[in-house]
Amino acid sequence: MNSLSDISLELLIPESIMIIGILTMILIPNLGDAKIRIPLTNTSVPVFIGGTRFTQVNNPFIPSIVAIITFTLSFFMSLIMLQGAKNGEIGQIMEVNQFTTLFSLIFTSALLMTSIATFYRMPPKQNPEIPQDKDTESSASAKIRILMNNRRQVDFYILLLMVGLGMCLMSKSTHLFLLFVCLELASLSSYVLVGFYKESDIGGEAGTKYFIVGSVASAIGIYGMSLLYLWNGNLQIDSLTSSWSTMENLDPFAGIGVGLMLVAFGFKVGAAPFHLATPDAYSGASSPIAGLLATASKAMGFVAIMKILLIITSPEEGVEAYWFIAIALISVITMTWGNFAALTSVNPKRMLAYSSVAHAGYMLAAIAAIGSGLGDYNSNVLIITALIFHLTILVLFKFGAFLVLTLLENEGLTHNMDGLKGLTRRDPVIAISMFIFMLSLAGIPPLSGFLSKLLMINGIVNVSAGTGSVSSATVLTWMTSVNVVFWLALSIVINSAISLFYYLRVGLLMFFEEPVVEGPLAKSIYLRITIIACAIFTLLLGIGPLSESLLEIANEAAQSLL
Amino acid sequence: MNLDILTILTLVPIITGLMLIILPQLLPKEMATNLKIITRNISMGIALAMFAIATMMFIGTIGNVEWTDILHGEYVLKNEQFSLISSIGVQWKVGADALSFPMIWLTSLLIPISMLVEWDAKRGHIFHPLILIMEGALLGVFVSLDLFIFYVFWELTLIPMFLLILLWGGEDRKYAAMKFFIYTFTASVFMLIGILVMYFHTTPIPGLGSMTGHHFDLVQMSLQDNLIPSEGLRHFVWILLLIGFATKMPSVPVHTWLPDAHVQAPTAGSMLLAGVMLKMGAYGFLRIAVTIFPESTIIFIPLLIFLGMASLVYGAWVCMGQTNLKRMVAYSSVSHMGLIFLGIATMQPLGIAGALFMMFAHGVISPLLFAVAGAFKHHYHTLEIGSMRGIAHHSPYLSGHMMLGWMASLGLPLMAGFVAEVAILIAFWMSFGWLVMLPALTLIITATYYLTSMQRTIFESNDPNQGILPDTLHGENPRDVTWHENTGMFILGIFTIIFGIFPFIFWDMMSVWSTQFMTDIMIDAMENVNVWSPSMDWISEVFK
Repeated sequence: MNSLSDISLELLIPESIMIIGILTMILIPNLGDAKIRIPLTNTSVPVFIGGTRFTQVNNPFIPSIVAIITFTLSFFMSLIMLQGAKNGEIGQIMEVNQFTTLFSLIFTSALLMTSIATFYRMPPKQNPEIPQDKDTESSASAKIRILMNNRRQVDFYILLLMVGLGMCLMSKSTHLFLLFVCLELASLSSYVLVGFYKESDIGGEAGTKYFIVGSVASAIGIYGMSLLYLWNGNLQIDSLTSSWSTMENLDPFAGIGVGLMLVAFGFKVGAAPFHLATPDAYSGASSPIAGLLATASKAMGFVAIMKILLIITSPEEGVEAYWFIAIALISVITMTWGNFAALTSVNPKRMLAYSSVAHAGYMLAAIAAIGSGLGDYNSNVLIITALIFHLTILVLFKFGAFLVLTLLENEGLTHNMDGLKGLTRRDPVIAISMFIFMLSLAGIPPLSGFLSKLLMINGIVNVSAGTGSVSSATVLTWMTSVNVVFWLALSIVINSAISLFYYLRVGLLMFFEEPVVEGPLAKSIYLRITIIACAIFTLLLGIGPLSESLLEIANEAAQSLL
Repeated sequence: MNLDILTILTLVPIITGLMLIILPQLLPKEMATNLKIITRNISMGIALAMFAIATMMFIGTIGNVEWTDILHGEYVLKNEQFSLISSIGVQWKVGADALSFPMIWLTSLLIPISMLVEWDAKRGHIFHPLILIMEGALLGVFVSLDLFIFYVFWELTLIPMFLLILLWGGEDRKYAAMKFFIYTFTASVFMLIGILVMYFHTTPIPGLGSMTGHHFDLVQMSLQDNLIPSEGLRHFVWILLLIGFATKMPSVPVHTWLPDAHVQAPTAGSMLLAGVMLKMGAYGFLRIAVTIFPESTIIFIPLLIFLGMASLVYGAWVCMGQTNLKRMVAYSSVSHMGLIFLGIATMQPLGIAGALFMMFAHGVISPLLFAVAGAFKHHYHTLEIGSMRGIAHHSPYLSGHMMLGWMASLGLPLMAGFVAEVAILIAFWMSFGWLVMLPALTLIITATYYLTSMQRTIFESNDPNQGILPDTLHGENPRDVTWHENTGMFILGIFTIIFGIFPFIFWDMMSVWSTQFMTDIMIDAMENVNVWSPSMDWISEVFK
């Protein structure tokens, strides 16, 4: 048995920092001048917890500052670990390698951006007034609302840190049980975060809907996991993998178990037909949280899917995985449904939600290409590299778009496209950044969105284009002989053409329509810097040396996954 | 890294254009205002410098190139090897040959002229830098020898053009800009799949593609024997490429974005769109599809003839029914682009050289046509052909330019267009015999619509001293063209005549290149597959 001392904590530094962050956040606002009198004497000893708060800790901004510092620290610690290639096992349930560290980096960066955005999005009032007897009913309730708003800062950021903790641990776990627990830790916190949008009625509704659908999906997943346990007697990923590869015929328990678990993870990534709660949740949540769901939460779902499909049930070369046709179908349905639904959305957050559904479809198509069993080890690594690269840069341009919406949200205009109207006239820098994000989402070169889409199509074409019969002399005979995977590449292409409509429409609104609200946007200096940095990195990671080094990191991560 | 001249030619306009747009945002207000005032002068200066460089390259002052000696497969003014994303095999590789150099020179000529024609554009501090960015992207397409970079520049041309149509276009500009962008982007992603299939059949070259083992190098691809072993796949890739290039050209039936985009685009946008962007399609088709898959090209000759003939005849036929001047000119572009496909389909050195010269000549003439149409829009506020008559009385310069442009475009001898048309028709006769009657007779339709529209617009008023003015003037006095429009059109007119009288300036290098191209690539391919030849015996029977 492993004792606690065997666990090398240095591999868990980012997570430890988050735990310390949570503790600090609980402690600091409670520091005060409370004293305890030693019995039978007159001497009082200060205990610092309780009593009247010190003025320094009375600042309602403290939780957000603590969160930002925590995420920054764990971001840089992950970066250092990635540079130093610090790998190893922790107990028998966790493993740290390049893959998990890269994903910790993705999660913490998304969370860091969320906490910077909420710093401006839900600002507390300094020195709020306490209601007096002479106040009228309405003014008293207004004052109470301000007080409550200040109070909830701590709740919000603790939940945010919980999400981070769950996600980072989840990517490291090599045991399905731990994986599920961490996933649920992150999910449950994110359900509450969705409902945290208290300015609007739909916040609570969205949170409830997301929670109900999400918990049903989790329940199905746990049922699947129990079937797997029944089959194997052990939920260790290694042991499952070896049992799976020695299994002669598909065991119904194993097959159904994996299928049911896919339902839970399919819900996380927003794959059709489990995506129906996604647009409601995104549009009901405040923009930073919606951005978090679209990037980090989706990356988490994909980590789980990769662990299940590509490690446990990984197809041998030349043998089609049993889930291949199902995933291929789901991917085509997902991308088509997402794009067509996005075409008709008038709410920018809904539009981005559906576009994120469509992107999930593209990524599932890449996973289906691995499932076809056509590719060798190298081509599979290439496809996973494309997936990881895509999930990484998604944090830049998808989150960037949500950050722009965050800026607009302070004016209360994100439930329709009104806020985006005439943005070029009001704030050209932000508008151009938004245009860059939209073009990158559509996959226009030389932006990074293009490179990731290219790599994904690349991977699919790579495994499939060689399958058509070499002797076929005409186009038709070749088209009938080629493996069905090749058509996934074409469906991605057609779908990206459809998606151009709604991405460009945002550009049209920003360039053309008369602004509904005059005057420049809110100052929010750090938020602005973040948005501009996202736009610049979207450009830089598309072509040139930076994209090269990110590709290499993603490639190493992909190799350490397989 | 030593910067070579083609890299400078491509990157300087893009970088300066971006700087001129971004700098006023960062500078303090007063400096920004001052900078905005001189932005158009700076842009023009850079564009002229680029034109000077291109011309010096042509004369031989820079690079000391003898253009008529360049054979197919040789590239001059190449850069040192420089990899951009080496793990997937992307490198910065540029070079020029007789196929691309006329286009490079043409681009650098048209940019300052289109700036000059719209010298007084509203919001000029963005307009002129955008045209500079456009120049860089267009030149990038013509100089790049790496398919990744080629594709990047290919799509990059869309963004400035989209913004030009969107911000300075006519009333229906939103619809036109969206249609333009989506149409051409969709087509080019099909092309992208074709490129990726080619990419996955390349054999590794050392130092490139450490992750995938493949590369995007166009020169290596064309050197590799039998790039794609499966014949069916080869044809499939050829068709994917054709979808991308034919839409850009554009050829019937994927031409419908062009009239809308042209009618709504600002004058400078139309000039660049017709002058250079359409040629990107023909250039890419020759550079990639024909060079790498010669056998597929030969097998699909009937398809090429069908597309070319359909564009030629349908474009001309539709022109006769147009009442909008710019729409008519746009459809005439479709019609002329059809001739390029016909020239390639002949598989004769003369035909290919004719197609190359058509690209060049149309690139000089059609900007003139669009400048004239733009001037009508500017000074008479309408483009309806019947609504104004006898304009020669009010705007003698504009009428003169119109007459020259219209005559050049219908193929009058001693003008640039004539040379190309004759070359293509002769080659067509050599390959397909009496079938040449179809394109030749279409030229009559061309003459009909050009002459009718010209006659109705600048002559044919019932009063010798007074033309009929359109209602859109609201009783104002009509003006003649401004000095900058006049100068721009004048330069284009001069070049039209120069290249009509002395076509050998560019014709020589084109014919050397295409002769070599035929002997190197096509002759081998023709031995492997049966060349389609129409059975026209019954016509010869009739004529006996």
